[in-house]
Amino acid sequence: MVKHTLEMRNIVKRFPGVLANNNANLTIHAGEIHALLGENGAGKSTLMQILYGFHSMDSGEILIDGERVRLGSPKDAIALGIGMVHQEFMLVRRFSVVENTILGLRDGSSPLLDLQRASEKLKDLSNRHGLALDPAAKVESLPIGVQQRVEILKLLYRDARLLILDEPTAVLTPRERNQLFAILRRLREDGRSVVIVTHKLNEIMECADRVTVMRDGQVVATRMIGSTSEQELTRLMVGREVNLRVDKSNQKPGEPILQIKELRVGDETGREKVRGLSLEVRAGEILGIAGVDGNGQSELAEAVMHLREVKSGHVLLNGTDVTRLSVARHRTMGISYVPADRRHVGSVTEMSVADNAILGLQRKYTRSLFRSFVDARESAEALVARFGIRSSGIDLAAGKLSGGNLQKLILGREIMRGSAALVVEHPTRGLDVGAVESVWRELLLARQEGKAILLISTELDELLNLADRIAVMFEGRIMGTVDPAVASVEEIGLMMAGIPAGGMLTTATALMETRHGETL
Amino acid sequence: MARLFERRLTPVDSPLAILATTTTAFLAAMFVTAFLFLSYGASPFQAYIALFHEPFATLRGFGYSLVRASPLALIALGTIVSWRSGFSYLGFEGCFVIGATATGWLALLTAPGARIGPLPFFLFLPLAILFAFAAGGVWAGLVGLVRARLGGNEVLISLMSNYVAIFILQYLVSGPLRAPGSLPETPLLPRATWLPFLLPGTRAHAGILIALAAAGLVWMLLQKMPLGYELVVTGFNPLAARYAGIDVARRLVLAAFFAGGLGALAGMVEVLGSQHRLMDGISGGVGFVGIIVALLSRLNPLAVIPTALLYGGMSVGADAMQRRVSIPSSITFILQSLAVLLVLACDALRYYKVNPSAIWRRTPQTVAGQASK
Repeated sequence: MVKHTLEMRNIVKRFPGVLANNNANLTIHAGEIHALLGENGAGKSTLMQILYGFHSMDSGEILIDGERVRLGSPKDAIALGIGMVHQEFMLVRRFSVVENTILGLRDGSSPLLDLQRASEKLKDLSNRHGLALDPAAKVESLPIGVQQRVEILKLLYRDARLLILDEPTAVLTPRERNQLFAILRRLREDGRSVVIVTHKLNEIMECADRVTVMRDGQVVATRMIGSTSEQELTRLMVGREVNLRVDKSNQKPGEPILQIKELRVGDETGREKVRGLSLEVRAGEILGIAGVDGNGQSELAEAVMHLREVKSGHVLLNGTDVTRLSVARHRTMGISYVPADRRHVGSVTEMSVADNAILGLQRKYTRSLFRSFVDARESAEALVARFGIRSSGIDLAAGKLSGGNLQKLILGREIMRGSAALVVEHPTRGLDVGAVESVWRELLLARQEGKAILLISTELDELLNLADRIAVMFEGRIMGTVDPAVASVEEIGLMMAGIPAGGMLTTATALMETRHGETL
Repeated sequence: MARLFERRLTPVDSPLAILATTTTAFLAAMFVTAFLFLSYGASPFQAYIALFHEPFATLRGFGYSLVRASPLALIALGTIVSWRSGFSYLGFEGCFVIGATATGWLALLTAPGARIGPLPFFLFLPLAILFAFAAGGVWAGLVGLVRARLGGNEVLISLMSNYVAIFILQYLVSGPLRAPGSLPETPLLPRATWLPFLLPGTRAHAGILIALAAAGLVWMLLQKMPLGYELVVTGFNPLAARYAGIDVARRLVLAAFFAGGLGALAGMVEVLGSQHRLMDGISGGVGFVGIIVALLSRLNPLAVIPTALLYGGMSVGADAMQRRVSIPSSITFILQSLAVLLVLACDALRYYKVNPSAIWRRTPQTVAGQASK
């Protein structure tokens, strides 16, 4: 059990051809919130998976309170008080909180489940740590932020002293995020240690005590939060100066290009996901759509392209009704789309960069009956050059590109089509800082060229930086539209949780609290 | 730490590596089959000589190899078109029968005194090709339609449809088209409808030329034409295809149509080139061996002709082997099947490196690895 410190010393982990961890050192004290910061591929997940017993290390040692321990499997780890909350929750959705918690545990020698006793213990734990969970609630009925607390409760039930949280805020509303941080602080006061793996600097500054920065498999620095700054951490993480405060040129938006009128769209199960939504995107403008995942944003984007059946309402492009035209017609008429899932929708990973560069344009690069490889390759080379896609060549399989480069390929392809309107969904999800920087720059350039851009994102930073207006979406409707220059994160956050701007604020908050059974 | 299998960072996918693994697999299959020969008390070397000598080293045998290879190649090409478009069609036995039936019926109509009457061959052949292709195309296209519009499972439906086609032929040759006599078969087709023979003194007919042309056309479609690009994108990733504005449902039906058409041409070639009449049991499993040929060619249309020749030749050699070293010809099927299994298994070599030394050093290595923790 971790009483005072946990130390990882000179950890080396080699995957074929990659040195994932190169003499990494990490010390975690009891009673601290420790952030592990790094870009994608910096080795932070590998290091944590070694600590969680999921990977074996090639050399190095792990010491708990000065004593060497062996972590052969997650079972060993949990026995030593080390537990992990994964980014994808490992919950059985149809089970209750208590059933999920005791899953995999044997209580004494009895062959029967004693749910009653487990529930009592859970209630006790939940109250003590401020989790506000009902043991009998079914997991599928709980909001995502509460499900996360079930994961934390699972670890506390196993008496974890060190909790590792992998990208814990990726799916949370700002409000849920604050609640999570409050819980983490209480765990700290209880003498437990928390490691959060993240690349979000503002959150680290807000809740961590210390931060360890990794780059290229090595630990580059450990800092007390009080003695560092976001600028310094960014520099440590990326290895160079990065400017994420983008300068947006002042420009007057032009005519409305893309108009959405009273749109209604259902999902596969027939549930209505977009409920009478109206929007207008003008030339040279970025309209941001904020909202927690699953509030109908994807359905909206797909319906605009007619990739999804529209129940009622209209989509107009330059005043022409395109609602029920084919996807191909949408594309030729001038709407481009950068989908959220770049590996499964936006590209064909088995095919080459060159072939992906003409996806959707295959009928354009032809000479009489045949494909014109000369023209297609020329345009692929131009795309790679203009968007700075790092690739060993245009014959490389697109699936071998890094996430950032693949995204630039898709974004570049859609921009270079010369469409008047561009629908972009989560353009920087999972990308590291360097790639985020260049994607943002390209979007602003497209805005300057006078394109009408509908930008769907869950990252408020991104929307505040890029958008000219931000519309907040909740359960298929627009809760309100704000000007990012004057709007506060709190205001947008409330709308994301379904509370309209201004007025009735306190009652609505109270309502939310009773609804989710939260006391925080 | 040397492990027995170490994952390669990137799979080796050069044509040379693919050829090497395929050859290795084939040799391995021959090695394993050699033990079966031994169990008959025959020398594997003699058996293999018998197996390969006749089909590839004698003119008459080579003629037979070409005869067997033509339908195999056409079916393999159909498999390539449908599978690369993401349509797992297995109904080539049925397409073969439908194509054979359509051709046979058409040919009988051109008999002197029949409804159409004699046609010159240069008119008859294009007509037969179109008719057989369309019949097989519609036959398979219906399965495509069921999959694309109703979400039916094409694997099951196409397998079952094979029986339907076979029963249709059974009905025709024992009823309406039956020739007087004891066997369920049609009369001999008019001489004027036969495919010309190529090499004097052999049975080799122009069917192999049709197969060659088809291989070129399929290669051109898939590699050089925008439609082929759309079919391949649909096969790799239907979501991306839809996103790119490709009508996935239509492409699936089209792929099914092409596949069925090619399968039917195989039947046509068999009827006009080799059997010269329709009879029950005319397909005899060609529809499945053709799929194996496609797999062995790794769905590459240019590799189909040599592979089909190899498989066609082996079935010719099997009979010679049975005569000369009295080994049952069915062992050849075992060899052919083993080859496919091992070719698919040898793909692992492109993804994993093998360290044979790890076999001997395995135990101490593991202990050392644990001690370091």
